Amino acid sequence: MAASRTVLVIDDDAYIRRVVQLKLKIHGYEVLTARDGEEGFTLIKTRQPDVVVSDINMPKIDGRTLCKLTNALKQKRPFLTIIMTARISPDERDWIEAMTDTQFMEKPFSPARLIKDINRYFGIDEK
Amino acid sequence: MKTSITRAIIILIFFLAGITIFTMNLSRRDEKQVVQQIMVKGNQLISLIPLLPMTKFQSQDGKFFLRTLIEYDTDKDIAYFYIHDNSGKSVIGMTAGGAAYPIPDVVSIRAINTMQLLNQNFVLVGTKDKIFEFARPMFDKGQRIGSVRLGLKLKKLSMFSLENMQTLAMIAFFILAAMLLSYYGITLALKPLRNISENLQNACGEGQLGAVSFPGNGHIAPIVSGLEKSLGIITRRLNQIETDNMNLASKLGTATFEKNRIVKILDSIPFGILIADTQDNVGHVNEYLLNLLKKTRNEVIDKPMSEVLANDEISAFISQQDGFAHGGTAQSIDSEFPDLAPGDLFRISMAYLLDEDRNSVGKMVLVNNMTSEKLAENAKQEFIVHVAHELLTPLTNIKSYSEMLMDGEIEDLDMQKEFYNTINEQTTRLSDLIKNLLNISKMEVGSMTLKKGLVRTDWFVEDCLSSIEASAKEKNIAIERNLPDVFPTLTADKDMLKAAVINLLGNALKYTPENGTITFAIGEQDRMVTFDVTDTGYGIAEDELPQIFDKFFRSANPQVTDEIGSGLGLSITAEIVRLHDGEIDARSELGVGTQFTIKIPREEYYLGSQ
Repeated sequence: MAASRTVLVIDDDAYIRRVVQLKLKIHGYEVLTARDGEEGFTLIKTRQPDVVVSDINMPKIDGRTLCKLTNALKQKRPFLTIIMTARISPDERDWIEAMTDTQFMEKPFSPARLIKDINRYFGIDEK
Repeated sequence: MKTSITRAIIILIFFLAGITIFTMNLSRRDEKQVVQQIMVKGNQLISLIPLLPMTKFQSQDGKFFLRTLIEYDTDKDIAYFYIHDNSGKSVIGMTAGGAAYPIPDVVSIRAINTMQLLNQNFVLVGTKDKIFEFARPMFDKGQRIGSVRLGLKLKKLSMFSLENMQTLAMIAFFILAAMLLSYYGITLALKPLRNISENLQNACGEGQLGAVSFPGNGHIAPIVSGLEKSLGIITRRLNQIETDNMNLASKLGTATFEKNRIVKILDSIPFGILIADTQDNVGHVNEYLLNLLKKTRNEVIDKPMSEVLANDEISAFISQQDGFAHGGTAQSIDSEFPDLAPGDLFRISMAYLLDEDRNSVGKMVLVNNMTSEKLAENAKQEFIVHVAHELLTPLTNIKSYSEMLMDGEIEDLDMQKEFYNTINEQTTRLSDLIKNLLNISKMEVGSMTLKKGLVRTDWFVEDCLSSIEASAKEKNIAIERNLPDVFPTLTADKDMLKAAVINLLGNALKYTPENGTITFAIGEQDRMVTFDVTDTGYGIAEDELPQIFDKFFRSANPQVTDEIGSGLGLSITAEIVRLHDGEIDARSELGVGTQFTIKIPREEYYLGSQ
């Protein structure tokens, strides 16, 4: 149903990458994975994913910096960014809301809820 | 009263005695003058008369001469006049009033027989008149033919003659006038003295002088007495002032000492203090703030506070506080001095200094460098964020994997098994993480203590290696032992040291690819027991080496991040080594391997030592 839609999962934890990747694939999304912000940013530029699911605490480039970098790209090509966060930092919600097409997902998150949010972005109704 | 009458009598006696002496002197002077006149008159007459020849007196001319003589004697001084011949017989003679004078014989004999001018005097018996007699021989052709005698009577002088009375009256007038003038002059002269006395009395306090009674009712006595009393009071006052001065000097000394001590205390305080008066002029700045402002004390004293601090933010804050009631409560803002202390954050507090009536007498501005507190706060916040992230990661995995299993999305049995394994692993990861966090917490509060005992290193080596042998076998990693012939003994907390070494061995196993080698060596060097863990793993980048012992640090190397890790293991290991007064260091080369060395001081072991 959404075979042409690509989701990029960026997390330094392999188990999270694995479970999110599996869940998305089951729901028909093409999945790209990256271990850190730097690798993720490269894939955003080269593979132009429709949705980016990213952690915040990552090596090299963290989630916040990645958002700032991709915000400029979204002017030309809009895409959704979902930030997986513990929402501990008091200003976290503020800076996420200031970004274009960016929403947060509180940890520990539900993969089913993640799919629901992505589907809603694409206008797909879950049965 | 009695004293003043006595004084008046004494003065009167002196006055009368003075008058008497003066009058006597006047009489004596008069007598001298009369005697001198008589002497002149007598000498003149006795010198002239013998020039006439004797015959003149023996004839009718003699009577004529006597008449002339009597006429000449207007003052009626002549008592008698005689001319004698050589035989002593009176040739011619006369007496005043015609009566014979009782001239003593000795006088007459000496006069009749005199050969030269002779002056002699005597007092007449009865009348007590004093007679001056002048006698001289008479010559004719060189022969003595007789003698001439002239007796002049000294008039009795009255002490109270009109002349004397006039003189006395004049003198009395002058004395009176002089006394009046003197009185007036003295009164005038005493006036300033009286003023001084009165002023002194006033200056000394009326109350104290009110009780003083001045003896005498004159003018000088009260003044002198008043001056004496005033002087006494002044002397007492001076003594009191001297005592007070000494006390004050002593108090000043104490106050100066206290002030210096307070200044020293203020200077030793590790934050800035500025004290200003109600006009916002600087009264004191402590050394910390002077150093921060890069100014000397002289450059800031009495200068406006805003000029000294030169920070608009702080000036605005102080002005804002002025708008509120002077409650004395400290308010604060955070500000910076970018030119003076770049990068540092300061907390500026201000409090009003109040007197006993709670009126503002000035301000105190405190400048506290909060940089380290802010950094510590940031580090703490960062630590909490890190811990939350580390805890939420395995929790997220547990939740995600179990949710997918529960939703029946994993149909393949092998995959189901993998999912269950993952949930199990993540649970262990979570509990390990919590244990590590507890250890870190113990280290942070300093409650981690060592239970030292004798450690047999041969047994210790096997203990440690046995914990990784099974996993090593799975990855086909060889474990080599590099052990000495004689194992050193060690005094240490065996369990903690074992945890530290196992951390190193676990990391070596985790970050060494399959078919690699881990070498565990033990030795002794400079009274230190050394443990070496060497692997043929991925290695650590040179720029990351200095950070590997920091809490939560994890390498950015993907081969490392793919493995489960919290970034706490090495920091705990380093802390355990530090507690043993040991050393830890790491050498590494990317793609070649890593060697960690722990050195623990080899303490002498005594039975019963802890």
